[in-house]
Amino acid sequence: MSTEHCRSCGSCGFPMRIPDDFAGSNPDTEYCSTCADEDGALRPYDDVVQANADYLVRQQGIDLLAAREMARALLASMPAWRERP
Amino acid sequence: MSAYSLSTYSFNMPTTATRPSQRTRQRDATRRRLIQAGLRVVAAEGFAGASTAAIARATGKAHGTVFVHFPTRAALVAELVAEVGRAMSAELAQLASGAPTLPEVLDAHLLALKKHEQLYARVLCEASTLPKSARAQVFALQSGIAFRLRNAWQRARAQGTARDLDPVALSNIWISLTNHYLMNRDLFAPGGSVIAQCGAALKAQLLDLIRP
Repeated sequence: MSTEHCRSCGSCGFPMRIPDDFAGSNPDTEYCSTCADEDGALRPYDDVVQANADYLVRQQGIDLLAAREMARALLASMPAWRERP
Repeated sequence: MSAYSLSTYSFNMPTTATRPSQRTRQRDATRRRLIQAGLRVVAAEGFAGASTAAIARATGKAHGTVFVHFPTRAALVAELVAEVGRAMSAELAQLASGAPTLPEVLDAHLLALKKHEQLYARVLCEASTLPKSARAQVFALQSGIAFRLRNAWQRARAQGTARDLDPVALSNIWISLTNHYLMNRDLFAPGGSVIAQCGAALKAQLLDLIRP
């Protein structure tokens, strides 16, 4: 996580600034509201990949399969998923 | 590095509530130096010139030290791109607070681009050769900009100050425009900042396009 700037989601890197950015609107959680449930528990990997791919498609219109591949590549570098086989 | 200070980059270091051991502090400091040196080498030579050997040389450390902290060159490159992306997206998150207008979002984006112009232009020019995770960082950052633009456009449209259009097209036009100028900054603003020189004109062009 960044220590000088606002915190970023440990799952997808999304910068979290306001309470609604955090899972369950709880600023003590490590993850954003997309990657974790109301209790702050990380959602299943495939669900997080899909949510991040949908976001890329919605914002930039890229191909869904390419977006899924990009989402997997993005998550692979994040603390929550780095050790995933 | 002439155009900006590396102190801009926070380096993604773990934080602990307790005082870290001397060994941990030394390890973290070495990792910081490697990232700092990596950013310097990339700014000067591009990613193509940022070999692990060159980065190790820039820190005065043995080549093998790099691999103590990063298992592969791809992991190091991904971390360098992530560092730039984190710094830029954090700045956007700070500036685009509340319900910013379209001009405010464009200004915030231009400010972040100007601050990180040299490194971000390198990232864009070499994006297709970067590891997938690094390229994904670029797209994640661009999606953050697109998200803010879309929200600001929706508010402007509701107020009758922006015309109907495909919000994906709006974002992609803006991203394409700024990326084109950044990737050819040596032609648009030789020796200077292309965002400082052309940013205001780019913003005016986009606002002209969406005027009802």
